[in-house]
Amino acid sequence: MRARIFAEFLLIALLASAALVGGCGPPEGDLGPLTYRLKWLFNVSVVGDLYAGAEGLFEAEGLQVTVKPGGPEKDAIKELELGHAQFGVASADQVIRALAKGSPVVVIAQIFQQNPLQWIYRPDRNRFETPADFRGKTLGVTFGGNDEAIMRALMATRGLSEQDATLFSVRYDYTPFLEGRVDLWPVYRNAQGVIIEDKLRRAGEAVAFFDPNAAGVRFVANSVITTRALLEQHPRTVQKFLKALLEGWRRAVDPAQAERVLAMIQLHDRDTALPLLRQQLDITRQMVRPTAETVIGRIDAAAWKQTEEIMLTQNLIPAAVNVASSLVSP
Amino acid sequence: MLIDCRNIRYRYPNAEAAVFADLSFCLRGPGFHALFGPSGVGKTTLARMIAGNGPRYEGRIETPGVARTLYSYNLERLPGWSCVGDHIAKVTPPSRRERMADLIGSFGLEGCIDARFSQLSLGQKNRANLTRYLVQDFDLLIMDESLANVDETTREKILLKIKGMFPDKGFLYISHNVSEVAKFCREVVVLRNTAKQPQAVSIAGLDLAPDQPLDKSRLERAMLEIVHAA
Amino acid sequence: MLPKRIYQFVIIYLAALGGLQAIKLVFALSDYVIPSPADLWQTAEAVFSRYLGDALNTLAVAIVGHLLAIVLATVVAIIGRLTNWAGALIKVAAYNLQAYPIVAVAPIIFILLGDGLASRLLIAAMICYFPLLLSFIGIFAEPVVDIEHFYTMTGRMRWQLEVKIRAFENNAKLITVTAGSATLAMVGTIVAEFFGANAGIGYSLRIALYQSDLAKVLVALFLIGIFTSLYLALLERIGVWLQHKLVLPTGGTL
Repeated sequence: MRARIFAEFLLIALLASAALVGGCGPPEGDLGPLTYRLKWLFNVSVVGDLYAGAEGLFEAEGLQVTVKPGGPEKDAIKELELGHAQFGVASADQVIRALAKGSPVVVIAQIFQQNPLQWIYRPDRNRFETPADFRGKTLGVTFGGNDEAIMRALMATRGLSEQDATLFSVRYDYTPFLEGRVDLWPVYRNAQGVIIEDKLRRAGEAVAFFDPNAAGVRFVANSVITTRALLEQHPRTVQKFLKALLEGWRRAVDPAQAERVLAMIQLHDRDTALPLLRQQLDITRQMVRPTAETVIGRIDAAAWKQTEEIMLTQNLIPAAVNVASSLVSP
Repeated sequence: MLIDCRNIRYRYPNAEAAVFADLSFCLRGPGFHALFGPSGVGKTTLARMIAGNGPRYEGRIETPGVARTLYSYNLERLPGWSCVGDHIAKVTPPSRRERMADLIGSFGLEGCIDARFSQLSLGQKNRANLTRYLVQDFDLLIMDESLANVDETTREKILLKIKGMFPDKGFLYISHNVSEVAKFCREVVVLRNTAKQPQAVSIAGLDLAPDQPLDKSRLERAMLEIVHAA
Repeated sequence: MLPKRIYQFVIIYLAALGGLQAIKLVFALSDYVIPSPADLWQTAEAVFSRYLGDALNTLAVAIVGHLLAIVLATVVAIIGRLTNWAGALIKVAAYNLQAYPIVAVAPIIFILLGDGLASRLLIAAMICYFPLLLSFIGIFAEPVVDIEHFYTMTGRMRWQLEVKIRAFENNAKLITVTAGSATLAMVGTIVAEFFGANAGIGYSLRIALYQSDLAKVLVALFLIGIFTSLYLALLERIGVWLQHKLVLPTGGTL
């Protein structure tokens, strides 16, 4: 009797779980409405994604796509696996970690050719031209974040260990940097970087940025992802999605469209003043399309390989995942 | 004069009818007096008014010659953090230690002075509570059903003990037991509802003293008078 | 003998793990979404001793924060009971302040006090302080008429005695509220560590979340659950002991 009750309970629990995660696994046939889960909240870093949604580029391809903002608690890869989203944006370290754990995720585009993660500093107090200048300094990192991996990779290029510099745990509040307790502070160059720079310039302080790319550390930033199953079973949908998305990015970073794009961002990011938004857009443009020849969305396989190597060296993944095999240009 | 109540008027909050309408009575001299009446007639309210911690009322209550009035009731409890004996000893002035011991013995409390209050029977609780009042400095002690849970035989012994021990003090004993008030009290104020006027009627009781023989026919008359008045 | 709470927690934890594994199996999810038992075991082996230290650190801060909150709530509730207006003012202030989510207040605390022990302690204390205060005010402001009457009548009532009577008479309620708020202290400490501190299991949990490592999260949750259960069990034991000590006779006969 007890065993029967237990079996019934287990069945109910499983059915309830099924209802909760509803729609797991790729359905056959028409995909219907699609969800595109971003990595972060709506701001200038997702301007092309927003543009494609706002300007009806997905509809023009015959797709019904809802662009959803991300956040610290959102994980697009998990949503893809659970079937809550069909496309998403994830950081490269997230993708590599997921691959290491057998996730069927594939990268279909790399929007930022240059990682916007840089470190801000005060040039009148310190000069940071190479990682060798880190010695004896207090360096801000978000422990567990990809900036920690990048910083450790930068230090490793000059044989620096944790004994040679002080790693300072960074949170959302950059008071320790403003107070001068930390020499280098990680920022997204195209987003907070502009805002902090403006704040300090107003206070009469000069700022500069240390770019890991310049030191040869090319850790890939966010990328557009989907599942391998979706790619294989609905290649045309993926192609259409990507076409619309990349067109959105192409137009969003087109200087001729700047005013229109800024007006659109203002609808979503009401807290940033227009002149700052303009600066943010300019910097974003340089990172998405560094040269006129750059193909928007190009996957930089070499940078991905380096990213994997960094993570492997730092034991962030237990074994190589051959990330190249999951980089797909449909 | 012990208690002089004149033209007391009072209505409970949110009540339509008054509980006291021109209530007047007078109790003279020290001794054991009673306040008697059916439930809900206002005995406790009146007792609290006399003790000075009742609600605001119209009229006048005077207690000439009474410097200190105490009011005790049967639901009172002693704190539970130490034993009953310790509690009573703590509130007994040093000069009354002998009286305390006498009362504990007379009230049959020796066996439970080391127990916590919560462990006593209801009757023991009443006796322990009354003991601590009797070792205080008072001129008038109102006993609002203070012995309600004590068996009749013990209660009679206690009342006689009190009467013998405190001949110069005033007591106002509130009880529903007609034979008891008739037997032991000097004056019984019968409190009636407002439909009856006067609202309070004073009837003489037997005021039985220790070792005094009981006149049963007088008792019956007094009881009849009280019942008739109520 | 392990307290019942530990068994209960372990059963719930294992049931939740079983549920997760069932979901993983039914929907063929990767180890990235839900770790496999082997993955979980390996992670536990790798991080258990470190997380154990972190959880103990968190527990220590939670206990100190909890004690602080108890002392502060007692003092303020006693003061608040003295006059009607002070009591009402403190009550309204406590209601309003506890309405603020700690995540909104935490950044201000971290800016003012930094990311060290002081912030963790303050947040742990704050999160359990207001529920304690409201209960304590309610308890200390409510007269126990049947006991207090004698002392009031005979002119013996002092504020210390009044507080003693009310605390003693409501000891079961006080113990329940105090034990209940222990969970809040633990939650407060973890929230503080999650948002701003550089130590404790909340900090490790945050890093694990950054790394999308659910296995680490599950190990951290296991330790949090065990230590919270242990602390609750300890408080309940103290409560039982106190009640036993307070209520039972010291000797004599009936």
